[in-house]
Amino acid sequence: MGDYLPHAYEAELSLAPEELQTLRDLYKKEGASVTPQTKFNYAWALVRSANKQDQQLGVDLLHAIYRENPGRRRECLYYLALGEYKLGNYQKARRYNDTLVNMEPTNQQALALRALIADRVQQEGLIGMAIVGGVVAVAGVVGAMFLRRSKD
Amino acid sequence: MAQPPAAASSDSRDIEATFKLLLIGDSGTGKSSLLLRFTDDMWLQPDEVSATIGVDFKVKVVEVNSKKYKLTIWDTAGQERFRTLTSSYYRGAQGVILVYDVSNRSSFEHLQTWFNELDTYSSSGLVVKMIVGNKSDKDVSGGREVPRKEGEAFAKSMGTLFIETSAKTTYGVRDAFAEVVHKIVETPALWQRSPAQRSNVSLNAESASDSSSMCAC
Repeated sequence: MGDYLPHAYEAELSLAPEELQTLRDLYKKEGASVTPQTKFNYAWALVRSANKQDQQLGVDLLHAIYRENPGRRRECLYYLALGEYKLGNYQKARRYNDTLVNMEPTNQQALALRALIADRVQQEGLIGMAIVGGVVAVAGVVGAMFLRRSKD
Repeated sequence: MAQPPAAASSDSRDIEATFKLLLIGDSGTGKSSLLLRFTDDMWLQPDEVSATIGVDFKVKVVEVNSKKYKLTIWDTAGQERFRTLTSSYYRGAQGVILVYDVSNRSSFEHLQTWFNELDTYSSSGLVVKMIVGNKSDKDVSGGREVPRKEGEAFAKSMGTLFIETSAKTTYGVRDAFAEVVHKIVETPALWQRSPAQRSNVSLNAESASDSSSMCAC
């Protein structure tokens, strides 16, 4: 499993609560004059969290950094893609990652993430089809029971 | 892409142990290229290589004395801007490979800084260290700035393993990883736990353990 999805593996490894807290404290301490570095470190830690609210806050911060610091766009795109992936927003994840791939067509990390997103979309598609298929099958059974009953 | 073929096909029951390795060193010394050569036997031209974002990760299964070991290799970004992020990956590593570029003197001189980083964040004093002088093929073009002997002498003074490599020509790449793994295997205190604990030697177990080291720089 870990062999097959290396990047998800990495992104799922959360920091310890104290580590996240250290970065949050620093971010809050710097207040309005927060440096892009402090902001980025905090955003990165949030994206790695297992908590959805943290992940969303991390994505929001990355959007802000992307707008304010053109020199940090490549890492923002990468972690935005990872963040949206973890939130289950695969279309957005793919869009951010594709932007990075367009900028750097041989970026191994972005290419691996692209494969990972595609894989997950396919898996969820199969699960979706199985659910729909299941509903159809149940409906069929219920229908058959009704038919049988009406014949009795 | 970049599926580790050996890992994908091997049965996890055959695996004797899982080792965590870390690649550190200045930006542009070829850490990612060394890893790509080792795991996928691939080489990208310099203009095709992107600076690593944060940290990259690959898996490979190797055999030592007819026993299989799974390597999880963490390739950290050399750029200063990712230093806080990468410091959190030192924990639980059994082997650390410090890479410099033989055609870039300052990358060699910065090794001391990387050793300081390692001493600060590493969770074990026993961790196996190796200094790798990469881009040894630059000899041909006369671009070498650090003589092999100087690299060797520094490694000796730091008490670490040493090798020169070329990710481009493959020279020394397999040997570098093999030597580190051998040394880890020879240091059971680094990785052997009681049989009850052995079953859950995983990255998740590590991440749940001590959390004291975190750079807030």
